[in-house]
Amino acid sequence: MTTSRYRESALAAMRRRTLLKYSVAAIVAAGWAGGFTSAMAQSVDLSKWSPEYIRSIAGTETFDTAGTCGKVVPNDYAGKVSYWYTGPFEADPVIAHEQDAAFWEAFKKTYPNIETDVQSITYNELLDKFRTSLLGNAAPMVIRLQILGGVEFAAKGYLEPLKPEDVGYTTADFWPGALKSVTWDGVGYGIPTNNETMGFIWNAKIFADAGLDPEKPPATWDDVVAYSKQIHDKLGISGYGLVAKQNAGNTPFRFMPTIWAYGGGALDEASENPTYEKAQLNSEGTKAALQAIYDMYVRDGSVPTSALTNTQAENQAPFIGGQLAMMIAHPAEYARMLDLASKATGADKEVADAVVENMRYGLIPEGPARRAVVFGGSNIHVVKAEYVEGGVVDEQAVKALICMWTSPEWSTKLAWVGSNPGNLGGFKTEWMKERLDTIKFLDVTTSMLPSGIPFPVLPYAPEIMNIIVPDMMQNVLTGTMTVDEAAEDAAAKVDALSSGGI
Amino acid sequence: MSSMTHTEQLSVRSRRQIDGWRWTGRIFLAILLIFTVVPIAWMFITSLKTGFAAMQYPPQWWPAAPTLENYTRLLDTRDSVGQDFLRYFFNSMYVSVLTTILAILVAVPAAYAFSRFSFPGRTFLFFAVLMRNMFPAVVFLVPLFILMRVLGLVNTHGSLILTYLTFGLPLAIWLLKGFYDNIPIQLEQAARIDGATRFQAFFFIVMPLSTPGIIATAIYSFIGAWNEYIYAYTFLTRQDQMTLPVGIQRFFSENATDWPGLMAATFMMSVPVVVLFLVLQKYFVRALTEGAVKS
Repeated sequence: MTTSRYRESALAAMRRRTLLKYSVAAIVAAGWAGGFTSAMAQSVDLSKWSPEYIRSIAGTETFDTAGTCGKVVPNDYAGKVSYWYTGPFEADPVIAHEQDAAFWEAFKKTYPNIETDVQSITYNELLDKFRTSLLGNAAPMVIRLQILGGVEFAAKGYLEPLKPEDVGYTTADFWPGALKSVTWDGVGYGIPTNNETMGFIWNAKIFADAGLDPEKPPATWDDVVAYSKQIHDKLGISGYGLVAKQNAGNTPFRFMPTIWAYGGGALDEASENPTYEKAQLNSEGTKAALQAIYDMYVRDGSVPTSALTNTQAENQAPFIGGQLAMMIAHPAEYARMLDLASKATGADKEVADAVVENMRYGLIPEGPARRAVVFGGSNIHVVKAEYVEGGVVDEQAVKALICMWTSPEWSTKLAWVGSNPGNLGGFKTEWMKERLDTIKFLDVTTSMLPSGIPFPVLPYAPEIMNIIVPDMMQNVLTGTMTVDEAAEDAAAKVDALSSGGI
Repeated sequence: MSSMTHTEQLSVRSRRQIDGWRWTGRIFLAILLIFTVVPIAWMFITSLKTGFAAMQYPPQWWPAAPTLENYTRLLDTRDSVGQDFLRYFFNSMYVSVLTTILAILVAVPAAYAFSRFSFPGRTFLFFAVLMRNMFPAVVFLVPLFILMRVLGLVNTHGSLILTYLTFGLPLAIWLLKGFYDNIPIQLEQAARIDGATRFQAFFFIVMPLSTPGIIATAIYSFIGAWNEYIYAYTFLTRQDQMTLPVGIQRFFSENATDWPGLMAATFMMSVPVVVLFLVLQKYFVRALTEGAVKS
């Protein structure tokens, strides 16, 4: 009895502590999201954010990366740093490989005496491998993780506190929403390297063939449902590229914008001052979003039947093949299509060029509540010495690497085809100008940044986003549950997770 | 037809039945063949396409402009893709060959002992060895990882070789024991009468006769180690240590997949196993025949 009572009391205390932590996190997050934007002078004027403003500031400043970082860590410093990140792989555009190689060359030139042990690990493997390496005390000193990843490890005590000032920058140099994603329990545990938002692409020829205005994207999510049906009914092909694969990061990135647009959410992450206390998956907004995908998949049959097992990568083939008319897309996908078209040969070349020619890009549609997109990206973190291979973290070498990586120059170059620079100074560089001139899709996705909503800053956010939300979608699309039942079921799971269950 | 005798009518009916079964069998085999060959053929055809051609819908059954670029890239030591692929290939070969050799070195005497010697707890020990294979591999993932961490073997090929041995040995011992049980003990006794030691009788009489079993065991061990994914994925984090099943993940990115590159790598990954089987199959059949004659 005594043991049991002790256990209950300890559990209650633990829950109180957890609640307190979340409250502090929420207050800090609210600060980042709201107050700080207006209270602190950002490197760029976020209130003027628009494609025109972005173009107007691009190329207006120059930065001396080696000099700036040399003030943080002397350029002749000798040491060693180990680093894991998701670098460019075979499917990525050539320019991403070139920029990556250029960075390591520049780092070697700037810090010739710092030895680097670099592992590029694929997107799907990085989190698992990092978790494993922490258990084996074989982690790297520095790691760059997707935006959802850091909080889990900060909450478990694996990461060292890290803020922009530690590597020579200021908080004002970074997007407030991005800093929110690296803050846990009131403390910053990382620095944003790149901020990612998506856009909407469509095939103008298919739109024209279906009797739609080829130059006008659907303005609302209700329009997406209607357009998708019209395209399917007239041409017999898929309208919208729905993605609903379970346990896949792609899925929440494509569906949460719809939920938020209709006024729903996983928790209250879309609100001005999120508290992350109560699930919103059973809200009317979420149900409306679920109804929209139900209408497209079940009622109209206007989206790919393989949506249940599709990630975004599987939508690329039918889009390129002219069998899919529109989808949410990442800037890197546009770059990838250009890359594929440039390498196409023979008869394929003509088809490839036509596909690129017909590709249009615009803002993600809005809903009754707002226009929304996931505020994604990556952050760089420092691992505590006890979990690092060899048990030592070379602080100076670590700072040198992070200073270079998060500099205006390299946060722009390393995000060349896929993202926005984490350091806002990057928007003023000549390289940003070059990017805007060469990657047409970029100004659209960059313009989506103010509509960006970060996922809840909670250690169990991956569980909500990668498991519960896709499960909810699948329950509706497979007819296992009605919209109401699926929404209530998912909300109950989130609440159980919040209170320490599941 | 009316002039046919009852026996002749039965014979015709029987022949028709046989033909019916034969055709059913042929159709069944043809379906099986389609299931086996089509994915491999599709893999090969895709490996000859450019990235754009591989994403065409409806698909191109044969590429409009076939290219070997995906293969040359994998074999080009000046290209980073080629360097990595060849390193993974070498790592896989190293781990698989060493696992196979060790498995044979341990399984042959162990199986012989279980077959020929009588000692206390023999049956219990034999089933205890087999017990290991009665659980799903993933059950042992965490305990083995902790063990490897304590031994300092995380991020080494030693961790994989040890792990693969723990999986491969039980079945290897079980397979080989079956072969030894079928070799008449009188052959060894005759050799002993002719002056051979027990080791000589084993080495010169039993070993040659058990060649089919050893080859079958070697093939089994090699394929098991060559294709293994989950332990290699868990124990290795360093790129320079990775084996092929884990290494080919690099063809998947967050937003795209290099299907032709992946298919070329997968096709090349299957080559050693196919070659090994084709080469050893000859010895396997010959050894089987020789064993039958001697028996």
